[in-house]
Amino acid sequence: MLINEAGARNLRDSAPRRPGFLSSERILSILTGLPLRIESTRRCRRCWWPENWRTLDCAMTVPLKELSKAYVRIAIELVADGDVAEALTQLFLQSTMATSSTQQSGQDWDGRYYHVDQILDVPGPRTDPSFSPGDTVKDFLRNQCKILVIGAGGLGCEILANLALSGFKDIHVIDMDTIDISNLNRQFLFRPKDVGKPKAIVAAEFIMNRVPGVKVSPYYGKIQDKDDDYYLQFNLIICGLDSVEARRWINATLVNLVDPENPESLKPLIDGGTEGFKGQARVILPTITSCYECSLDMLNKPTAFPICTIANTPRLPEHCIEWASVLEWPRVHGDKKMDTDDPEHITWLYEQAAARATNFKIEGVTWSLTQGVVKNIIPAIASTNAIIAASCCNEAFKIATSSAAYLNNYFMLIGTDGVYSYTFEHEKRDDCPVCGGEALDLTINSELLVEQLIELLVEKQDIQIKKPSLSSGSTHIYFQAPPQLEEATRPNLGKKVSELVSSGGEITVTSTSLPFSLSLRITYS
Amino acid sequence: MPDSQTIESATTALATRTPQPDTKTRRYDRQLRLWAASGQAALESARVLVISGSATSTSILKNLVLPGIGHFTILDHERVSPADAGNNFFLEGQSSVGKFRAEEAVRLLRELNDGVEGKADTRIIEQVLDNDPAFITSFSLVIAHNLNENTVARIAKLLWEDETYPSFVVVRSSGFLAEFSIQFHEHTVIESHSETAPTLRIDKPFPALLEYANSLDFTNMDPTEHSHIPYVVILVRVLEDWKKSHNGAAPKTYEEKKEFKKTITAMKVKVDEENFDEAEAQAYRCWTESSVPSEIAALFQDPKAFSAASSSSSTSPFFALLAALRAFTVQHDPPQVLPLSATLPDMKSNTVNYVHLQTLYKKRAEEEKAQFKKYLALSGGAGIDDALIDSFVKNAHALKLLRGRQWTSVHSSAETLGNSMAMNSKHVSTHLALASLSSLQAKQADTKVTTEALTAEAATLLPSGLELPEEWDEAAGEIARSPNADLPNMAALLGGLVAQEVIKMITKQYVPINGYCVVDLIEMWTGVVG
Repeated sequence: MLINEAGARNLRDSAPRRPGFLSSERILSILTGLPLRIESTRRCRRCWWPENWRTLDCAMTVPLKELSKAYVRIAIELVADGDVAEALTQLFLQSTMATSSTQQSGQDWDGRYYHVDQILDVPGPRTDPSFSPGDTVKDFLRNQCKILVIGAGGLGCEILANLALSGFKDIHVIDMDTIDISNLNRQFLFRPKDVGKPKAIVAAEFIMNRVPGVKVSPYYGKIQDKDDDYYLQFNLIICGLDSVEARRWINATLVNLVDPENPESLKPLIDGGTEGFKGQARVILPTITSCYECSLDMLNKPTAFPICTIANTPRLPEHCIEWASVLEWPRVHGDKKMDTDDPEHITWLYEQAAARATNFKIEGVTWSLTQGVVKNIIPAIASTNAIIAASCCNEAFKIATSSAAYLNNYFMLIGTDGVYSYTFEHEKRDDCPVCGGEALDLTINSELLVEQLIELLVEKQDIQIKKPSLSSGSTHIYFQAPPQLEEATRPNLGKKVSELVSSGGEITVTSTSLPFSLSLRITYS
Repeated sequence: MPDSQTIESATTALATRTPQPDTKTRRYDRQLRLWAASGQAALESARVLVISGSATSTSILKNLVLPGIGHFTILDHERVSPADAGNNFFLEGQSSVGKFRAEEAVRLLRELNDGVEGKADTRIIEQVLDNDPAFITSFSLVIAHNLNENTVARIAKLLWEDETYPSFVVVRSSGFLAEFSIQFHEHTVIESHSETAPTLRIDKPFPALLEYANSLDFTNMDPTEHSHIPYVVILVRVLEDWKKSHNGAAPKTYEEKKEFKKTITAMKVKVDEENFDEAEAQAYRCWTESSVPSEIAALFQDPKAFSAASSSSSTSPFFALLAALRAFTVQHDPPQVLPLSATLPDMKSNTVNYVHLQTLYKKRAEEEKAQFKKYLALSGGAGIDDALIDSFVKNAHALKLLRGRQWTSVHSSAETLGNSMAMNSKHVSTHLALASLSSLQAKQADTKVTTEALTAEAATLLPSGLELPEEWDEAAGEIARSPNADLPNMAALLGGLVAQEVIKMITKQYVPINGYCVVDLIEMWTGVVG
């Protein structure tokens, strides 16, 4: 690949308005003028550069700005040689520097915050007296406040845009997903050309290009990769997640982070969620207000079909689809994992389900229904995400500036029949396993076997624990892992709970899916 | 999936497989699961006019362009100010300053979806009203944000002149407070996504169902078969036997109902027969009469349902269908029921029995639909599309008809306002405060907005006999704090709320607000006045 003058001009013109992050593809396609596709390879979770291309250590200590510059140089060397590469690198760096210095001075142009400043310059009739209007609050919001956004999907894209326009300038975003075509009906920072790329990185780049002077630091990976110190650096955390498990994890992590000696350790958590025309936003002050775990029983129970219906007496198209995914896939494919994001896998399931449906004279199995059932797809639209994300960001803005009271503590909206909303205070639960401190009372039949207790814990709406391990004091009741311990404790599955734990005794329940343990005080009926 | 790929390469690989959806269906998958192809088609043929390219306006449009509205036009003669560049995501910072706001916003909004047509119109709205009102009436829906109140009134008057003219959404916002209302002539909903299931007509079983229930010999049945009889069949049979010994009447008193349930339990041959448990739990269906729901009966009284047969083709097919439905409920045997629904809920049963029951329901539903079509031909609906008829019959138990009002700045009914004040005076305070602001600014655009000025203005707007609500000072004080603030979060929130309403109006599958939706982002609530 040779680079020509037009390529160099493209590079200069496409240089970001501020030195920010450039993805490898972007740099290379700018240079060559060709849409570039890098074959599947392991990539760095932070910078999305193919790992075998990297010569720099992409650690947290290297600012992304520097990293980006270095990669520009590497990218240029890949497509041009010697002097040409040197000249191009200089050209590129000069152009980014030049735009960056003009941007720097012009970032907060006169009138930029005309709208927001009306709120920040004067208190309103309901504003708390602690509000310090004017420069103090603006300086905190724009120069000091550091906010974390978890999720760069339907809610995340909206949240990032709202925060940037509201004046937050140091924004971090975590997302472990890549962009799918079905995201494009609502995740407005992504375009068809971005399909397959990491959401966090593309979203961060878009915001930085569109809203000058805002730094968005992306992390392409899991929230569980980060430690307490990472979460401690933020003033606020907003979640736009679609997973109950991730919400439980971040909620429990932030509750555990609270150190009564250090008020800074209390990180307000704002959580949003949507489904179709419905949604909710809430403010959680860990250990002070009701937490996510406190409200677990408000979740809808997932539809589960009895295995005998699936196996023997299917009546609905869904039963045939469940049969294909739960029974037929493992029978035919053995240990091979089913990937519900792989269209070929969905097609296979669809074909099996459709054949079974024809056999049983059941109508209605379609490819789309198959995908919906196996992926547990929740309908999602841009407008509902906009409402909920705006509610979350408005709370973040109010908490960061004290310009108005914040939500206490739950807002829910149903938009199908008029606009119906309900604002209320969700109560903290004393026996909440995360923030309550008290053991949960559980009365069971004295004949109940250990394996039945496990089944009960998995199904119970306010517990919802996957693969729980049980112990009582120093007694191992049952452990899911490691294999030796599992084998050693397996005989207990057939024993009565009452043989192992006396009435009033406590059982500690743990699970790898949860960052906390649950204490159950057992009594027998 | 590879880490990075173009959309073309991603889709060509899939296109060869027939059952898999095409690119467009995959792009819109998450919304098609809500409003289906019919709702999507309605969106794609809609044309929306938005007056002003404010942050709120572009937020609304973003949420309409993404799901694939057919066309949008932004009408705005203003040029981008530094303040616009700071609060509007669909402007490119300082580089947009000085350019036409409509042109910059349209360019950036169009990037969101190739399938959407967008136009910028830089004429002045008042001049368009004077010289080219047909331009405004040519759209399917018109939206105005923070427009001069006199201009809003002119547009509202124009669009109220003919019932084929577009609906009009009026949005006002000021800092943490906002409201919007929709002026529409009428709104009909057929595909209503109702959560109420239609009746199974167990109390009035159709002949084939009754015959099937009577043909079963419960006492000498194979025990496995016995535990696989659907509860619908059990109930029909038990009710039929009951009626024989009770002068043809269903259980009425508490004692009778208890006894009826006992009869069901006594039929069990094994304790764990879940189909009999279901029958007992669903026994109320035997004494809940299947009839025309009162909401639907009320629709039958609508004058348009009487004139449908004689009126011109411009009348929406809804009224011809409604007239036919009324005829059906009068003349059908049994009378006073809606056409039978073919949808059977899931219930304990083996496949064969369930599918058999489903077939009986489907056959009967088809027969009743054929009868319905005869009445439809008589009520002037001969040319109506079969898919629409199917949908109408399927949703007959949950049809909706709303009639709107002409826009006024303050709710035109003193009685409604008074009632709203008694119910939630905060809502009315916000509504009045925003109306007072519009009224003040319509007189003099750069007027100094103070709580006192707003209070004086409110006194002139309030219908006689009503006093300013208790929370007035809080609402007025908040408006005085930030009268001209189009906050990014409020713009985004209104963008979502208004787009939801527009989607409901266009798809005709959901119920829009009727009145003024008020929003307070300080206490975080929404409410409806009216």
